[in-house]
Amino acid sequence: MTSQPAAQAPRPLEGIRVLDFSWVRAGPWATRWLGALGAEVMKVEWPETERGRRTPGTTPKGVDPTLNNSGNFSDTNANKLSVTLNVRTARGLDLAKRLVAVSDIVIENFSSRVLSDWGLGYDELCKAKADIVYVSMAGYGQTGRHHAYKTFGPVAQAASGLTFMSGLPGAPPAGWGWSYLDDTGGLYGAMCALTGLYRRNTTGKGQHIDQSQMITGVTLTGPALLDHTVNGRASHREGYPAGNRAQWPGTTSNSYRGPTVAPHNAYRTDPGGYNDWCVIACFSDAEWDELRRLMGDPDWAAAEKFATQAGRLQNQDALDDGIESWTLTLDKYALTDLCQAHGVHALPVQSSADRVDNDPQLRDRGMYQPLAHPEMGTFKLQNAPFRLSASQVDNTRPGPMIGEHNNTVLQGLLGLDDETFAAGFNDGTFWPESMPLLPYMEDMLT
Amino acid sequence: MNDAEPAGPLDGLRVIEVAGEQGQFCGKLMADLGADVIKVEPPGGEDARAIGPFLADEPDPDKSLSFWHYNTSKRGVTLDLECADGAIAFKRLVATADVLLESRAPGHLPSLGLGYEDLRAINDGLVMCSLTPFGQTGPWRDYVSSDLLHLAAGGQMASCGYDEADVPDAPPIAPDGGNAWHTGAHFAYIGIMAALVQRTITGAGQYVDASIHEACALTTESAVASYVFRGDEVTRQTGRHHSPRPTPRTQFRCRDGKYVNAIVWGLTPPMLRRLAEWMDSHGLADDLLDGRYQDTKFIRANTDHIVNDVIANFIANMDSDEIYHGAQDRGFTWSSIRTPDELLDDPHLADREFWVDVPHPELGTRYTYPGSAAIYNGSPWQISRRAPLVGEHNVEVLRDELGLADEEMRQATGVQGNPTSSR
Repeated sequence: MTSQPAAQAPRPLEGIRVLDFSWVRAGPWATRWLGALGAEVMKVEWPETERGRRTPGTTPKGVDPTLNNSGNFSDTNANKLSVTLNVRTARGLDLAKRLVAVSDIVIENFSSRVLSDWGLGYDELCKAKADIVYVSMAGYGQTGRHHAYKTFGPVAQAASGLTFMSGLPGAPPAGWGWSYLDDTGGLYGAMCALTGLYRRNTTGKGQHIDQSQMITGVTLTGPALLDHTVNGRASHREGYPAGNRAQWPGTTSNSYRGPTVAPHNAYRTDPGGYNDWCVIACFSDAEWDELRRLMGDPDWAAAEKFATQAGRLQNQDALDDGIESWTLTLDKYALTDLCQAHGVHALPVQSSADRVDNDPQLRDRGMYQPLAHPEMGTFKLQNAPFRLSASQVDNTRPGPMIGEHNNTVLQGLLGLDDETFAAGFNDGTFWPESMPLLPYMEDMLT
Repeated sequence: MNDAEPAGPLDGLRVIEVAGEQGQFCGKLMADLGADVIKVEPPGGEDARAIGPFLADEPDPDKSLSFWHYNTSKRGVTLDLECADGAIAFKRLVATADVLLESRAPGHLPSLGLGYEDLRAINDGLVMCSLTPFGQTGPWRDYVSSDLLHLAAGGQMASCGYDEADVPDAPPIAPDGGNAWHTGAHFAYIGIMAALVQRTITGAGQYVDASIHEACALTTESAVASYVFRGDEVTRQTGRHHSPRPTPRTQFRCRDGKYVNAIVWGLTPPMLRRLAEWMDSHGLADDLLDGRYQDTKFIRANTDHIVNDVIANFIANMDSDEIYHGAQDRGFTWSSIRTPDELLDDPHLADREFWVDVPHPELGTRYTYPGSAAIYNGSPWQISRRAPLVGEHNVEVLRDELGLADEEMRQATGVQGNPTSSR
């Protein structure tokens, strides 16, 4: 179904204004989605402190890194305006409060209580805008004895239990190869903001929502926690975590991702490169029989020990060796299509290149759409994973250049006159006195 | 709810959920925030009730701890949507709802006359979200999936694994915990809430077509940007970020056999001095108090010695808790790698009143459940009841609230005899 909405269809958050004090990744990932949904997101930043702009690892090759050419910053901060404002000056703080007064949502992911120390705590914000929805996204939250503890994604993952739950039994934790809790912590920031906004629209009341990145991770380990609180089972035990398997042979406890079945693993595929792997799982005896047929009914697979789920779970080493001797003869996409055509669960392990260039589903759904960036040129950005039948949700602009919208926001929205606007660039309110103005800032002042 | 207690932020919102393991978490997110979520299951209950672990390891549709966790605060009814009476009752239920959340195979509900167009005709304010593995269109639309399969195709596995030195020839690893389902649910929640906010202005509902595959593909931080902007592919490393180039390790083993995550690159001279003084108080500073380490270039040139000799040895001679709290107290962003069962004793979580004791009257006891990612000041998150037993609210919802006669209810729920128990 889903006829695509007309190109001029409205966006769901049109008319909503977000004052965004967030930085690095988790907070900016939250506001990126509010922007894609049509909110006007004003990113308040300061060139000496937004580390998210200083990630040369994603600057196009052969180009000197600047504050405006981090690819990851652009994708993380798509759909926003950028305003440079030194909130730690009296004038900057006053302007920040004037921005609060015309905003619906304030979001920040500083360490606990930093914003209130600057004079921008919830009570102060309410004086500027009584029904403001204020979302704070500190590592450990704003309350509790360890509220001042600091996090990065990997540290929050370690403290929450998520890191422990990834890996092979008997080996160190494999953990997560990226800041899952920056991505997911960020989504919770957006979820909290939308929830608070819905409540405001239905009750007229604003509120302070105090999200914690680390605790977000804890909430994603529910069945593992209940296995302990209800069954008394220790988290650290033989055969857990079970790698990619649903259960390690010789053990009886569950993992926490679905039914306990075998086969359920990753297998090498032809031609045997670093990411030439597929995963296969059979959730019933009938599905296993179908896989046997697809493998050409090899003798090993007919063994009695593989005929039942219990037998396959117990004999996974031999089972997996047998299956891999077959998968090694096929390309991972060909194998996927063959299995899926017969209802057998299989998908390829996909690298970033696979997702962007080779995945037929993501291509068909338009996941990666090019957008022109004034300094970097045209690159693909990641689009929303859902379609709305009556509204647009694709990206409107790449990540902003730093201070790109100072005049739009400070003059257009707040009505600063030319003289006051120019003065702010000279007295350290809109730009550090130690840094030369960027060319587009010079243009704003002429 | 007690009248004196403030309501959750989604108080007054009614959600109908027809969802298995793909979608049940999204329903929980709404239910614990105060929405009245009515879970509609087939006769006998959802397949997700067969997912372990189980109470006392005894498989039973009412004793799946996984089902318990993902279905808190919901009411549950059984309806046979494939029979006319069940479909009619379902439509009457949807007519009272703000949201329909469903995760059936694409085309399934429309084939029963229960697609968005059919339901909009009886409720034009309805926000209907189909949260499915690949969405409603595209060449993989009808492919089957699982949590493991999504983590493969979504890119998670390509980023997770081991250094060759730790586990030679290791496979890519899919982290446990059901995080493909979580990721799909998070984005579906965002889509639903956006449509609901828009409805507060326009009055009109709409259809949300959410894809778990796309949600996962979006959830690998900078891996896609590294490729799109530079053509770089990442390799897997033990317990730390994927990277196009090898980076220093950050995971170290402690005296008690547990591990810590200690990010030790980018040390400045004052940080190194602070660290060395802490180590020296345990007699483990080696040569790090030497004045030469008060120079950034010297630190960089000796990273291998600092990390792999001195810090690794210090941590190996300390317990993980000492490292975790000692480091945080000194401004280092480190943590021990904690197990879920350890978290029950975390005083910080207790201070935030994180844990919830949920009554299980059918078992005459209470069990401890995890709480919320956020404190919603003024409109609290809460678990209002444990997950429903199979068909537990058939009489309450279908007869008392919807007004079905006993016989209609029996027909609609697809069971003979006592309609309160559909097994």
